[in-house]
Amino acid sequence: MSALAPVLEPLTILIAEDSAADLLLLSTIVRRQGHQVLTATNGAEAVEVFIRERPQLVLMDALMPVMDGFEAARRIKQLAGEELVPLIFLTSLRESEALAQCLDAGGDDFLPKPYNQLILAAKINAMDRLRRLQATVLQQRDLIAKHHDYLLHEQRVAKAVFDKVAHSGCINAAPNIRYLQSPYALFNGDLLLAAYTPSGDMHVLLGDFTGHGLPAAVGAMPLAEVFYGMTAKGYGLAETLREMNAKLKRILPVDMFCCATLLCLSTQRRVVEVWNGGMPEGYVHEVASGKRTPLASRHLPLGVLSAEAFDDRTEVWPMALGDRVFLLSDGVLDTADANDQLFGAERLQQVFAANREPDRLFEDIEQALAAFRGEARDDVSMVEITLQAGQQLRASGPLYADSGQSCPLDWSVSFEFRAETLKRYNPLPYLLQLLLEIHGLREQSGALYSVMAELYSNALEHGVLGLDSRLKRDAQGFAEYYRQRNDRLAQLNSGYIRVHVQVLPTAAGGRMTLRVEDSGPGFDVEQVLARPLDIDRLSGRGLSLVRQLSSDVRWSDGGRSVCVEFCWEALA
Amino acid sequence: MVDLHLDPEVLSGLQEVMEGEYPKLLDTFLDDSQKRVEALRKARDDAKALGRIAHSFKGSSGNLGAMRLAQLCQRLEVESVGAGVGDLGALVDQIDREFALVKPLYETERQRFQI
Amino acid sequence: MSVESEVSPDGTKLTIAVKGRFDFGSHQAFRDAYERFYKVPELYVVDLKEATYMDSSALGMLLLLRDHAGGDNAEVQVINSNPDVRKILAISNFDKLFDIS
Repeated sequence: MSALAPVLEPLTILIAEDSAADLLLLSTIVRRQGHQVLTATNGAEAVEVFIRERPQLVLMDALMPVMDGFEAARRIKQLAGEELVPLIFLTSLRESEALAQCLDAGGDDFLPKPYNQLILAAKINAMDRLRRLQATVLQQRDLIAKHHDYLLHEQRVAKAVFDKVAHSGCINAAPNIRYLQSPYALFNGDLLLAAYTPSGDMHVLLGDFTGHGLPAAVGAMPLAEVFYGMTAKGYGLAETLREMNAKLKRILPVDMFCCATLLCLSTQRRVVEVWNGGMPEGYVHEVASGKRTPLASRHLPLGVLSAEAFDDRTEVWPMALGDRVFLLSDGVLDTADANDQLFGAERLQQVFAANREPDRLFEDIEQALAAFRGEARDDVSMVEITLQAGQQLRASGPLYADSGQSCPLDWSVSFEFRAETLKRYNPLPYLLQLLLEIHGLREQSGALYSVMAELYSNALEHGVLGLDSRLKRDAQGFAEYYRQRNDRLAQLNSGYIRVHVQVLPTAAGGRMTLRVEDSGPGFDVEQVLARPLDIDRLSGRGLSLVRQLSSDVRWSDGGRSVCVEFCWEALA
Repeated sequence: MVDLHLDPEVLSGLQEVMEGEYPKLLDTFLDDSQKRVEALRKARDDAKALGRIAHSFKGSSGNLGAMRLAQLCQRLEVESVGAGVGDLGALVDQIDREFALVKPLYETERQRFQI
Repeated sequence: MSVESEVSPDGTKLTIAVKGRFDFGSHQAFRDAYERFYKVPELYVVDLKEATYMDSSALGMLLLLRDHAGGDNAEVQVINSNPDVRKILAISNFDKLFDIS
């Protein structure tokens, strides 16, 4: 007898055949091939046996009494569900219509009578291979589904943790910010953070981590912590950037980084300070003239350069009340239509140009994107910040854990910051922390910080560096002013700023006297003070601000020394 | 080619497969077939029933090497669809006769294995 | 997408040509291209003439190459960039780290 193909593994095979002789013959053939055989002599019995024993393969006579083969086949296939239980019809039917009927009823193949052993063996083997393939597919599908569920769960947890971090800022509370961001932005690597500084300025970060999913999300949390922590303490953009870059460089793998635009918007000083590393250009939109100033990427993204090589230089642009800053993620320009055309910078410019109502500009962009694409895209991040009047100075700063019983009331301290320190250290956050040890001053922390910052900046820029604030009369002058500032600071090798603090108790509560001295040439105090308080002029705002926010401002020593006072009442 | 009454090659093939069960197979077939022939006679007036029985009979006779018998059953099966009952009677008779012919041949074959 | 590498006869220059889409799927092939040379060339050249598309994961791969090549002391050139590739390199200011042409 010719050798049959080797059986892959013994199966349990159900044979349903109403002719006793045929059943005997077939059972013997199949048993000899190494399989276990179950028998039935009609369709109903076949279904019963199937339910009870769950054989792996079925050989079914097409025409049988009490439920014919077709109906039995349908039932068995239904009972099998997702699993593949191959069903081979045994038939002496000739017409192709009848044969087609077999396959339609769920049969996978048919075996003609008279039976040919070789063909039967070959067909059983072939069907078994298919059966096992299907079983593997189902198993892998279930495994994938399980892993997918784990992954979703992990992402939910990551998102929950991150949301707590992200919402500690002011992005939802500030009235002058509008933004568009997908709820799954975190997993596209998009980050949008906003927080107030102690003086009421606003820091905003729009970031885009490389990659997607959890790796992108993982970098966002440390970054957000640095951003919020330092902004709340009063650190400027440069220090915050250095710290964020160093942190990411340290914790992220070499091929991961974060493109980011960081800006500081100051209603008081009517400026926006910008640093853009790798993000698409943002825009300062001047409402009065319709002019748009691009905020282009001039730096490498965060997390690429070492601390020594990192460039923290920012650009400063003037803004008037009502002007807006737009920041966009690359999802905007990359929005594609049905023909894979990209929206692009030109179309964006057209939207800007066509807009008549500044308040609608944000929606105009949204609508233009949706119209272009045919539907809204869910991974676009966009933010608009308007310079609005009447921003209250935020008093909410770092929370204190102490009970308020013990606080220093009678003390003084002096600092002298010399050239090397002035170049690379901003003492203001430290000084603010120190002064906020005085409980009575805490309510005025916003005003206090603003005044300190203004006095320090005047001492540094006009006093030590010798810059002329009259340069800052237009956008070009601004750029030149800050360029000079950076240059002179980098080359500084002499000079100082001294800060003296004296705290004394008074009958009502207490008084803090702050004096700032610089090593510069001084200025004609009377002349400067005589200039009208023109609050729309770009330069000279600082002094009027100081006079508004503190009690009793006095200059001495030819303008090189200035002294302010803050008073408070004793807390009950 | 004229179908054989009983194809010896089929029989030897069956013997190889069935081994010890070969005699049992022959017995089962003879038993089955007897019943079918009687059923055919009873169903003379029922074309559908005739068709069904013929179909079954065709299958097993083919498996057991009774080629001409199988062929006759095939014809009966085909003609039972939409034909007048009268024409079928003749075929039933033919089947009857053919079985009567091959039955002793199977019995002889069966004898070879009497212990 | 394919990555082919070629070393100069004197072993001082390794040229890696990326063809097709230079994205996350190219990660392994790109790394293999430079990691399997036991000699460290003086100059690495990434040829993007036949690169059709580049995204931020490709930027990451360039950073990995630069790191492998010695970080700040590395000499890595990126040549034959088409306008789209140039644009993405320009926005990220990668010309501060790589010699791009």
